[in-house]
Amino acid sequence: MPSATLLGQALISGVLAGGLYGLLAMGLSLSWGLLRLVNLSHFALAFLAAYLVYELGTNYHVEPWWSAALIVPAMFAIGVAQHWLFDKFKVNELASLLITFSFAIILEVGIQLYWTADFRRYETEYATRSLKAGPFYIPILDLTLCLVAGALAWGTWLWLRCTYVGKALRAAAEDPGIAAAYGVDHKKLAYLLSGIGAAYAGIAGTFIALIATLAPAQIWAYLGVVFAVVIIGRLGNPLGALLAGLLIGASESIAMAVLAPAWAPVVSFSVLIAILLWDPEWL
Amino acid sequence: MLLEARNLHIGYGDAPAVWDVSLDVDGGEIVSVIGPNGAGKTTLINAIAGMLRSRRGTLRFDGADMTRVSAHAYCGHGIALVPEGRRLFAKMSVEENLELGCYLPAARVARAQSLDRVYGLFPILRDKRRQLAGELSGGQQQMVAIGRALMARPRIVLFDEPSLGLAPTIVDDMFEIIARVRAEGAAVLLVEQNVLKALEIADRAYVLEQGRIVAQGLPADLLKQPQIREAYLGV
Repeated sequence: MPSATLLGQALISGVLAGGLYGLLAMGLSLSWGLLRLVNLSHFALAFLAAYLVYELGTNYHVEPWWSAALIVPAMFAIGVAQHWLFDKFKVNELASLLITFSFAIILEVGIQLYWTADFRRYETEYATRSLKAGPFYIPILDLTLCLVAGALAWGTWLWLRCTYVGKALRAAAEDPGIAAAYGVDHKKLAYLLSGIGAAYAGIAGTFIALIATLAPAQIWAYLGVVFAVVIIGRLGNPLGALLAGLLIGASESIAMAVLAPAWAPVVSFSVLIAILLWDPEWL
Repeated sequence: MLLEARNLHIGYGDAPAVWDVSLDVDGGEIVSVIGPNGAGKTTLINAIAGMLRSRRGTLRFDGADMTRVSAHAYCGHGIALVPEGRRLFAKMSVEENLELGCYLPAARVARAQSLDRVYGLFPILRDKRRQLAGELSGGQQQMVAIGRALMARPRIVLFDEPSLGLAPTIVDDMFEIIARVRAEGAAVLLVEQNVLKALEIADRAYVLEQGRIVAQGLPADLLKQPQIREAYLGV
């Protein structure tokens, strides 16, 4: 059994790593839950953003935060454009899975052609900085990621709960016909939501560039665990996505400390299955 | 005329469900459409609500041609639907369902007023306003559906089988509410299987069978026709 300090550190690192799961899951959860579109290219868009942050930072010495200010709106535009295609071809839930899978492949190949399959590491001064709380270390970047993810999740949740646009989106997800009969222009709102989802991929990508080593195939590394997070967090619920992300991150990290690192991938799906079997009321 | 439907043909797929239907509703009127199951009543009312396109014919509302108007713009003209089976947003609260009724800016500015009016009409909904709409009883759900329509400050309310699946005592209440909706200034188009009730409340009525209007007139006159008495009242 590892020491309490080690377990505590594992818990902290896990929760912080879970912030990225939550951040990646949010955009996916929104479009899946509210538009009935499963956007597999979400991961590829995040990595595209990550590579762009890397490129701007390494070759042009642009601070990552400035890059993000440029890239996130661009991602929003890509999300809108993507939805234009979905809309034009009347894509349904299953078809969206296949189409966005091919989007993702195309993006992966594109990234590989430009940046090659080599591992890329964006070295910044932030990467090594951390806070010290008692015996524990808290990396600044991971903490920032979690705070940003928390603010986004909370903000998005409030937006969906408290604004007319948010309510209209939730209503249209349940019954688009009746929502339209009360004046909801679902098409227009869907564009907005797709843009927001892609913008979230851009934000996640910025952090991926800062904390992870980039390689084109890494696009798929998050797929399984983030899907589990989306489902545990309930479709269309950004706050749930973040909390589920933190839960999975923490469980993975504890499992790695207590058992062995190889156990980590098993954890997310074990938690998913356990929660589905348990079927608690809040799910 | 507030609502003027002329020679409407409406259908899903290849088979039109409604043929050559013409129908009028004047301001402040209650007009009932009666007919057996599958006659095309819901199809007709959905087309008038903008949820279905007619293939031929014209629909005018307050002089405006509605044929080219997109579905989400019907409400802004003053048409509100209380759909068959209520079709509430089950995972949203009662108050959120009502608020969806005043989604459009023109109705939104009167949100507080309209909410007061709906809660005045259905006091039980005020107590349950934070509850999920899907958790309410059938009668209460029907209240939410009617309330949602009233929140839009409509000039006509389309009721599609409002008594379907409700306990008989609540059915009487529903018809009373429909009368009050009209008393407060909106016209009503009512589609019902409860023929006696629907004729009792109406100023004028149409009989729809197999997608066609087969009779129309004052309820009292329709009730005198032997074939209508036989088909719908069993006497």
